[in-house]
Amino acid sequence: MSRTNEGRGHPASFRDRDGFLYERDGVLYRQVNRAYAAHYDLLMQSGLYDRLVSEGALIAHRELSQPGLVPDLAYKVLEPDRIGFISYPYEWCFSQLKDAALATLDTMADALEHGLTLKDASAYNIQFRSGRPLLIDSLSFIKYEEGQPWIGYRQFCQHFLAPLALMACTDIRLGQLLRVHLDGIPLDLASRLLPWRTHLNPGLQVHLHLHASAQRRVGSGRASLGRGRKGVSRLGLRGLIDSLQRTVRSLSWEAGRSDWAGYSEFHNYDEAATQQKVKAAESFLDELRPASLWDLGANTGRFSRLASGRGVATIALDFDPGAVELNYRQTRQTQDPNLLPLLLDLRNPSPSQGWAHQERQSLVERGPAGALFALALVHHLAISNNVPLGMIAEFLTGLSPSLLIEFVPKQDPQVQRLLASRADIFPDYGVDGFETAFNPYFEIHRRDPVGDSGRLLYWMEARS
Amino acid sequence: MSRPLSYLDPGSGSYLLQLLIAGALGALFALRIYWSRIKRFIARLVGRAKDEQDE
Repeated sequence: MSRTNEGRGHPASFRDRDGFLYERDGVLYRQVNRAYAAHYDLLMQSGLYDRLVSEGALIAHRELSQPGLVPDLAYKVLEPDRIGFISYPYEWCFSQLKDAALATLDTMADALEHGLTLKDASAYNIQFRSGRPLLIDSLSFIKYEEGQPWIGYRQFCQHFLAPLALMACTDIRLGQLLRVHLDGIPLDLASRLLPWRTHLNPGLQVHLHLHASAQRRVGSGRASLGRGRKGVSRLGLRGLIDSLQRTVRSLSWEAGRSDWAGYSEFHNYDEAATQQKVKAAESFLDELRPASLWDLGANTGRFSRLASGRGVATIALDFDPGAVELNYRQTRQTQDPNLLPLLLDLRNPSPSQGWAHQERQSLVERGPAGALFALALVHHLAISNNVPLGMIAEFLTGLSPSLLIEFVPKQDPQVQRLLASRADIFPDYGVDGFETAFNPYFEIHRRDPVGDSGRLLYWMEARS
Repeated sequence: MSRPLSYLDPGSGSYLLQLLIAGALGALFALRIYWSRIKRFIARLVGRAKDEQDE
């Protein structure tokens, strides 16, 4: 949370009246309200908290003895572990969303064993740490009452199952519907967009298609809850969770089968030039020693790993769902504690949105980063997207004071490919034009050629 | 059936669906657990018989 909210509740923490987050003197606190006391005590005393924290599934916290932001309501004040960079479900690749879904269900099953249940199933309660999902809301648990259905069922299907099914069965790009529908994809919409064959998948048939139709029938008054009807037994609830787990596991998406093959761009490189680029990136990192780095156009994260391997908190951003998918799978396998691959289109980066534009932060608001990589990127922005070089420089200076940026000249095969089917309306696109455009914003600290490719690598520092 | 009070609206349709399907899903879940126990039991029997043969 980089935006200052001194003395106020966090702008994304207002829905639940059981407690809230706030920041004071740069420290993030969570106030637990008295209304939630019994549930909180059960979470701590049942052994569930210890179990989930030791598994790395739930964020750890320390109990503090201080009055809280609204002392009249306060039962406890907690200081949760800090997450360096908050990411949102519309910035996750398929497997990140799938892993987050399974983590939510596993936590629900664990909670039931300890006499508790999850009162919500929001994808925004999950963050990624060391390549695995982590529940960050310690107030999501309430005491389980026999007969009680799962309150979070609808939310789970909207936040997780519907987007996963649409990405796996219709089109990977439909994951971006989450950016518009902040409380998850409406089930009737998902049901309409899914191909007919998904009716044959028992899990999707029940939890999405039938679910949407139940909502429609109740909404139109054609079915009612039927007073006096028995609730859901504990076994029934366990069966529901098991069925959701099986359904989520049955969904898959392979990057290689898609049209998204941008990550092959590396293979066109001359290996000697790449090695030189690696060396330049390494000396940039070793001399600058940034605390954090954003790799813009990170592809599958080859250069991001130079930073994360040096202990730099690294965000690898790419607009290609296939590249982010491959990057995440590798990060998950190596459990890299410093790397977070995310899906982000720089031509239209994540906006500030939600209530009062403050619930979900834009990319810029989550900065600044200690340093930026912009390797093999500028030609895509300047030529494919017609952004003038000066505007690129202005945008980058808002993201970080230090920049390692590659300039790819017009005669480069990659640029020639972009120009093959369009008019060359870029007379200023050249080394001189590039340096002139960046000059008002950045000072060139160093300039190195990349082999004999004609490409140039600049270390730039923002002018203060 | 009492409806739990929560900050989140669970949605009436979602509630109704759970009432309708939970019984069947619970039974399936129980069957699966028993079936895996039977399989494990048989595997152990077969394993023991094999061990005895090997001796």
